[in-house]
Amino acid sequence: MSTSVGLVFFIGAIGLCVIGIAGIVLSRHLFRMVLALAIAEAGANLLLILAGYRWDAVAPIFTGTAGGQAMVDPVPQAMVLTAIVIGVGVQALALSLVIRIKERYGTLDMQEARQCMQDDLDDAGGVTPSRSRERPAGERPIPAPTVLNSTGGQHD
Amino acid sequence: MTDVSLAVVLPLLGAFVLPLTRHGILRSLGPVIGPILLAACALILFAAWSAYDVPYAVALGSFAPPMGITFYIDDLALLFALAVPLTTLVLWPGESDPAATGRQSLTLLLAGSLTGLALSGDLFNVYVFYELAAVASYGLVVGDGRSPAYVAAFRYLMISALGSVVGLIGIAIIYFKTGTLNLADLSTLSGELADPQGLAAFAMLVIGFGVKAEAFPVNGWVPEVYGAVGKRVAALLAGLASKLAVLVIVRILILVFPHDETRQLLLVLGILGVAVGELAAWQARDIPRMLAWSSIGQLGVVFVAFSLPGKAGVIAGVTVAMHHLVVKSALFLLADRWDRAIESLKGAASTSRIGAALFVLFSLSLLGLPPLPGFWSKFLVLGGLAASASPLQLLAMGTILAGTVIEGAYLLRVVVTFYARPDAAVRVPGQRAGNLLGAGLFALVLLTAAVMINPLWQGLEVLAERAVDTNGYQHTVLGDREAGR
Repeated sequence: MSTSVGLVFFIGAIGLCVIGIAGIVLSRHLFRMVLALAIAEAGANLLLILAGYRWDAVAPIFTGTAGGQAMVDPVPQAMVLTAIVIGVGVQALALSLVIRIKERYGTLDMQEARQCMQDDLDDAGGVTPSRSRERPAGERPIPAPTVLNSTGGQHD
Repeated sequence: MTDVSLAVVLPLLGAFVLPLTRHGILRSLGPVIGPILLAACALILFAAWSAYDVPYAVALGSFAPPMGITFYIDDLALLFALAVPLTTLVLWPGESDPAATGRQSLTLLLAGSLTGLALSGDLFNVYVFYELAAVASYGLVVGDGRSPAYVAAFRYLMISALGSVVGLIGIAIIYFKTGTLNLADLSTLSGELADPQGLAAFAMLVIGFGVKAEAFPVNGWVPEVYGAVGKRVAALLAGLASKLAVLVIVRILILVFPHDETRQLLLVLGILGVAVGELAAWQARDIPRMLAWSSIGQLGVVFVAFSLPGKAGVIAGVTVAMHHLVVKSALFLLADRWDRAIESLKGAASTSRIGAALFVLFSLSLLGLPPLPGFWSKFLVLGGLAASASPLQLLAMGTILAGTVIEGAYLLRVVVTFYARPDAAVRVPGQRAGNLLGAGLFALVLLTAAVMINPLWQGLEVLAERAVDTNGYQHTVLGDREAGR
């Protein structure tokens, strides 16, 4: 019984980590990256708690009754408390940075914000950008032109 | 007989006291608190080195290992721990604008946590100090609040937090397999970590702590951040913080994962770092990003050096790391006023003769011209690689040599631009006296090391011998417990 429940928890923890890491790496929206970070940290913390968990034990608190009961390992729980607090602080800082980026650059898209940053750095340093900033508008590849035949009709 | 842990506590206390000095009676005390505390830390660490019988271990709170938090003090730890307050003093943000107390507070937090990283003997303590250093560096990167700095800080935060999540999973794997996180205890159990799960845990720890160490997969933040921040902060991060992160990885490698596969992993990451860093530095067209990519390349050399087994690896690695600390911090100090495109700095030598001369000195040392210390550091690495001569190590040797040629190309190109005839239309800024003084101090250290190679070599031999002595480490921390194991 406890092995299948344990398996669910392990799969859940690793799944949360994978979802979070994939979100951070693949996401283009700044706020989604912060949310993915929160999910990934939750997964990692769950994994760390599972490292010390025992299925037939009680919480590691001395309650005054005579000892002898098996207790869950308290060390990973202490570590996870620390990791949760660190994670909350970092996420709060990330959100304040997102707000500032939106104020300064008006965009919440990572590619656009990075492009604006590179442009600002290039301007400040007096570096001419390697690619023209005024790129031609329109789709790529340019759709093939339709050709008129001699009678005025159209065929490709 | 002062406790070495004061060297960690004092800067943290100072960081929390500094905001109180903005108003009221303590206002005159504000600017001097930081330098006084850092000088006190340097004195404490220096006294520990000369007075005590290193190596020894300190159990914080008198909880005996492996249950509690331990600090392990040996020559390697003290060398890096001493470098922290000294370098922070030279790179101290001494401006007196209204945001100065915040900046100084963050710098003290960074100094305290980096010292803790150097002395720590427990894996979770290392993680907490590493996160503290990371958060302090996010604040320093934001700095004055210029717009590009926000984007650079966000990207750095994301990559660093991703690394921390992966590192935490690695710590969880280690706890699953061994049930302990004390480095000495793990060192006695390193046989259990020699399987693929252990290698995975090591790879995750390298990704986690390698963000600050500018290791290969997680170093995308480097050129943006060093381009966007003030160059004194860049000097702190590139020069100091990266070395302490490398020290953490090396301690874990030597004590917990002394296997061939893990050394090969570091070697591969080092080769990739050298190749990518040097080629991208050649492509860079302004000085801060050129120095940033060059920093990635040099840290690749550091990884290659520490991947050599035994004493030779530690000696080579410590030499390259310390040399890079001195040279890269000084180069970033010189780049403080010269953070613009290379072509627009034509004739900089006529506006600042000393600055250009110092730049030439540091470039030559970085290239490895004898008798400067850079030559000895590269020579030790290449000698160690040639000694065992497996195909991967020969590839590393070729990459480092090719990287040196490319370094010559981009560094000397800058030197030639400096000494060219200045354009009449473009005004090249001169150097600030504070930066020149700092760079001059680093140059003095470099030249002293060049002259005193022999005593330094003997000291390094002793340091390396104690660093690779894992049995001695276990015995010092755990006492005679393992006799009864």
